[in-house]
Amino acid sequence: MQFEMQLLWAAVIAYVLAGVLAIFGVLLGKRPERTVLGLLALALALHGTSIGLRWERLGHGPYITMFEFLSSNVWSLAFVFTLAYWRYKPVRPIAAVVMPVLFMMLGWMLLHDPDKGHVPATYHTIWLFIHIGFAKLFSGTVLVAVGIAGVILLREAGIGTLRLARLPSNERLDDLAYRFMALGIIFETLMLITGAIWAQDAWGRYWAWDPLETWSFITWLTLAFALHLRFAMNATPRTGALMIMVVFGLAFFTFFGVPFVTTAVHQGAV
Amino acid sequence: MTVQTSEFAAQSSAGDPWLHRLASLRLTLAIIALLLAGSVVALHNSEHMTWSLAVPMALFALNLASAVIVNPAFRRQSALLLFHLALIAIVLLVAAGRLTYLRGDLELTEGAVFDGQLTDVEAGPWHGSRFHNVSFENLGFTIEYAPGIRRGKTRNRVRWIDEAGRPQSAIIGDMDALTLRGYSFYTTHHKGFAPVFTWWRNDGEALFGSVHLPPYPAFEKSQAREWTPPGTTRSIGIMLQFDEVILDPARPSEFRVPRQHALVVRVGDELRELRPGGRLELAEGTLVYEGLRAWMGYTVSYDWTMPWLLAACIAATLSLAWHFWRKFVAQPWLAPQ
Repeated sequence: MQFEMQLLWAAVIAYVLAGVLAIFGVLLGKRPERTVLGLLALALALHGTSIGLRWERLGHGPYITMFEFLSSNVWSLAFVFTLAYWRYKPVRPIAAVVMPVLFMMLGWMLLHDPDKGHVPATYHTIWLFIHIGFAKLFSGTVLVAVGIAGVILLREAGIGTLRLARLPSNERLDDLAYRFMALGIIFETLMLITGAIWAQDAWGRYWAWDPLETWSFITWLTLAFALHLRFAMNATPRTGALMIMVVFGLAFFTFFGVPFVTTAVHQGAV
Repeated sequence: MTVQTSEFAAQSSAGDPWLHRLASLRLTLAIIALLLAGSVVALHNSEHMTWSLAVPMALFALNLASAVIVNPAFRRQSALLLFHLALIAIVLLVAAGRLTYLRGDLELTEGAVFDGQLTDVEAGPWHGSRFHNVSFENLGFTIEYAPGIRRGKTRNRVRWIDEAGRPQSAIIGDMDALTLRGYSFYTTHHKGFAPVFTWWRNDGEALFGSVHLPPYPAFEKSQAREWTPPGTTRSIGIMLQFDEVILDPARPSEFRVPRQHALVVRVGDELRELRPGGRLELAEGTLVYEGLRAWMGYTVSYDWTMPWLLAACIAATLSLAWHFWRKFVAQPWLAPQ
């Protein structure tokens, strides 16, 4: 366990260095992008190895305790963001918006006890991995959209306009954010479908309007509303960016708030 | 959902104005907002859930169907057409499912046969009566517990006669249901102890049955229940007493009936302790305590729409993905617009 934690701490340091470098790069008008990308890749490798060692030691994946939940989500969010960072060079400064979100989650993770938890009987199914996998892809794609939306909102508010000037226009950013949100709705739909299959197998009902299901559906509807708003009302980039923030806020509350404040069967530990 | 407003406006200028209003993109937006409100109601008030969701869903189906009829853009964009048709199918299937579904709870003592009696049931108005032909026997179960009394795997052996008249058996539990004639039976975390009695009436007739004590270990400290023997108005209090630790918080254990126990029976102000084989003479008959067994709680569900709903959901997702893919590939985000 000690080696796992050492690797995790090394990953935390690499994440923090990557984030600090990205933020100062924007503030000072520098482009340390290759170094940021390298540090992110290093952090992912260290963090992934730490998660893998824990998985091997405990015999189950990182989805039981809040510590595991946050750790695996930081990894998956960072993974999706690193892919976007590598692929979409013109918008790399969005790291200055995204990395603080990851810092917050890292800090929250480190506040939790890394002790092992109990695996409920209903967790022994392949649908768990598929369901969680789509959930992580969904939150990862929305996080990239949040980074883009953050830049749009900062510019609209007149904050850092000069420092963010080298990014494409707000209209172009809005289009890219929309694409990530479109990808997000596909992944969230698949997450809901696979969750329903799992719920049917585990509890004999595919949908019961329990708090986590309902909040997931509310997030899905809000995402559908945000996408539809672009066409029905010719929404401006600012409105689109605000809607992305609302969707991310709802998704964050659904994933990290609801499962741990409700005693509904969705917790699986009854 | 994702076609340009101007394209729709240009191509849907003729025809019934009401149909055009129903097909409006802005109405879709309002309906999504209404569904959001309905979902919040569902979260906080289950009493008004049906209407708070049914009304926007019905409007949604009308809006989608009108859009498909009115806008010729759908004829050219087959992925988008398929997506909208799949959404309509989902709404219709959900409605059909709510009209014909059944969901219920039951409890079954080890060795007892399910005879169609449910402790709790909700069903759609068009659900038929096939359920009464469904039967199976609970042959006993094991449940593992980890330290800290954390429930592990449930293995419940069941037996039934299939539609060809052949005896069948299986082990169900957790992720494995027993499905008979479309009805799926799932074990639940509710289980407990069941004192088994033979009730000899004064006319010589004997009735064999059990009394289900409150779930264990959830109600570990209150293993007692009031019971009225069949054909009488007399209320009898039954309380199970045992000193053994069944589920040890300190080490792995397994749910089982206690090896040593006593059943305290209260009739009026009189208390009697019964062991297996013990008898209690009453004015209306004789109660014979046969022994202690376990009971398992099940939930049963029936919804014929499920595979179709799954197919429609997959069709909707794939067609939407296909639509987005074509749209985004056709115009890279940094290409001149």
